[in-house]
Amino acid sequence: MSAPVEIIGSFADESGCAGCVEKLRSAKPIAMRVFSPIPSHHIEHAIGKPKSPVRAFVLTGGILGVISALALTIGTSWEWNLVVGGKPIVSWPPFIVIIFELMVLFGGISAVLSFLFNARVPAFEIDARYSSRFSEDRFGVVVRCEEGDGTRFESILRDAGAEEVGREAA
Amino acid sequence: MAAAVQEPVAPTFRDIDRSVLRVMEMPGLAYWIWVGFCFVLVGIGAALWTRQIYEGLGVTGLRQPVMWAMYITNFVFWVGIAHSGTLISAILFLFRTRWRTAVYRAAETMTLFAVATAGLFPMIHLGRVWNLYWLLPYPNERYLQPNFRSPLVWDAFAVSTYLTISALFLFMGLIPDVANAREHAIGWRRTFYATLALGWQGTDEQWRHFSMAYLLLAGLATPLVLSVHSVVSWDFAMAQLPGWHSTIFAPYFVAGAIFSGVAMVITLLVPMRRWLHIEDLLTPWHFDNLAKVVLLTSLVVTYSYSVETFMAWYSGDKIEQMTFYMRYFGPWGWLFWVMVLCNCLIPLLLFSPRIRVNLTALWIISLFVNVGMWTERFVIIAGSLATNFNPSQWAFFRPSITEIMITAGSFGWFLGLFSLFARFLPIVSMTELKEGIVWLRKSLRKDYSRAA
Repeated sequence: MSAPVEIIGSFADESGCAGCVEKLRSAKPIAMRVFSPIPSHHIEHAIGKPKSPVRAFVLTGGILGVISALALTIGTSWEWNLVVGGKPIVSWPPFIVIIFELMVLFGGISAVLSFLFNARVPAFEIDARYSSRFSEDRFGVVVRCEEGDGTRFESILRDAGAEEVGREAA
Repeated sequence: MAAAVQEPVAPTFRDIDRSVLRVMEMPGLAYWIWVGFCFVLVGIGAALWTRQIYEGLGVTGLRQPVMWAMYITNFVFWVGIAHSGTLISAILFLFRTRWRTAVYRAAETMTLFAVATAGLFPMIHLGRVWNLYWLLPYPNERYLQPNFRSPLVWDAFAVSTYLTISALFLFMGLIPDVANAREHAIGWRRTFYATLALGWQGTDEQWRHFSMAYLLLAGLATPLVLSVHSVVSWDFAMAQLPGWHSTIFAPYFVAGAIFSGVAMVITLLVPMRRWLHIEDLLTPWHFDNLAKVVLLTSLVVTYSYSVETFMAWYSGDKIEQMTFYMRYFGPWGWLFWVMVLCNCLIPLLLFSPRIRVNLTALWIISLFVNVGMWTERFVIIAGSLATNFNPSQWAFFRPSITEIMITAGSFGWFLGLFSLFARFLPIVSMTELKEGIVWLRKSLRKDYSRAA
């Protein structure tokens, strides 16, 4: 079996890159990753990965926020059974404000933490295939494949309109 | 003969980068003098606050019955200013509004620093600031927890949540941009941007999680922005004081907050556009849309003023009617009419499409709105307290130099922080402008045909 190689192609436009990704995907490489200066639904759709699990983290965070607020408001009210202004010890309407705020707070913090966790950032090492232009104005596609398939993938990239195509040992 | 209007060149990703990154180059002496001036104001305000802590609230103009006046006015004003940032960054993001891309970073930055400024005022207003933690869910020395039925405790939760979420939202949006800035920077700036970028490389995997987290954060921030100023309004509406005790306060305050906030965005962006030479990114089309939001919210605010008056009349409540009579024709009546002029009449000029794209006129109108909205809060807060239930208690508030200079210091604090951000971090989002580059090109062409 030949050693894997990585084919790197760069594109000037989003649609060319997305079209290429779709073709590469059907050619079944070992792995593929795309660098992009902007978030792109076309590319995301072409790659065909499932929706981010960040949703589940945010839902969990929001529920935890609600539970925490319930514990805080009801718990502290029960701890000191102090009637204020003739209102019930457990006064739902005012507590809903606290419950809502903590739900948003915990949900928001969960969104950021789960993004950091799932996207593997902070990343202390920059990907060797990353180029500064991928943060500026170019879209990059990196395909990992068997050395024997390299030419086939290179021609897919070229046919799709890649400006530059290179090959490096994986 | 009028100079020929130059046909715009369709900007590319690289042009956007160049324009934004140019702003982040080392600023000149005039900039540092301005920032220095802002922080001198902060220093004066801080010195007077120190004196107030040492001497007590007697150094202010706060006397019975007007125990809430300029400090709380400033608090409400700055929380209100903060609202447009989240409106533009979160609500308009969910609606996929095209014109927000060029203005949202500045609006969001304004939000963060406005909430940070607002958050100072409850502390400044406290005679014994060391007891601030009584608002937090932490028991005092008698193991008494805060009273969660109190709107002031809701406020502590709402404002601190808003500050946290605004900061996270701003930080999230900054990551791809500072990663781009990292690639062009050298020396300490490179280290600074690289640290903030958290090793961002824009891989599909990173974008997948980023987009989802950003969308959900926007979804959470949207009801939050509506809730925060509603909660602030309940600080007043939950009290039984005539002039405060009103069911329309929540929507009325939210509309007012967006009104003042968008006006402040215009106040900041018009000079910023010129001084930072970003005319190619912030076009009259963007200002036209901002002006429409100001106009709409001005009409809502005008409607709220009318409804308040109608309810006072229709309720048949003599005390309520007297409060409103005093508001319009009492010793502070002129303040009310200043507020009507600034918030209801002058913004009507924005019905003219010509005025909406005349940036000088728009900037002047936005200044009037800022003055009007500060006055509105003062009229509601101090005016209602001054003429309470009992005419024998009626008294008027005279601000002391402490309150005036602390207010000036808050403007210095806000403008100084904003100015620092504008020159050291991307004040216009490169990523979002690139994403909506088609719309930027369209807007430039539109402005060209209008000018031609």
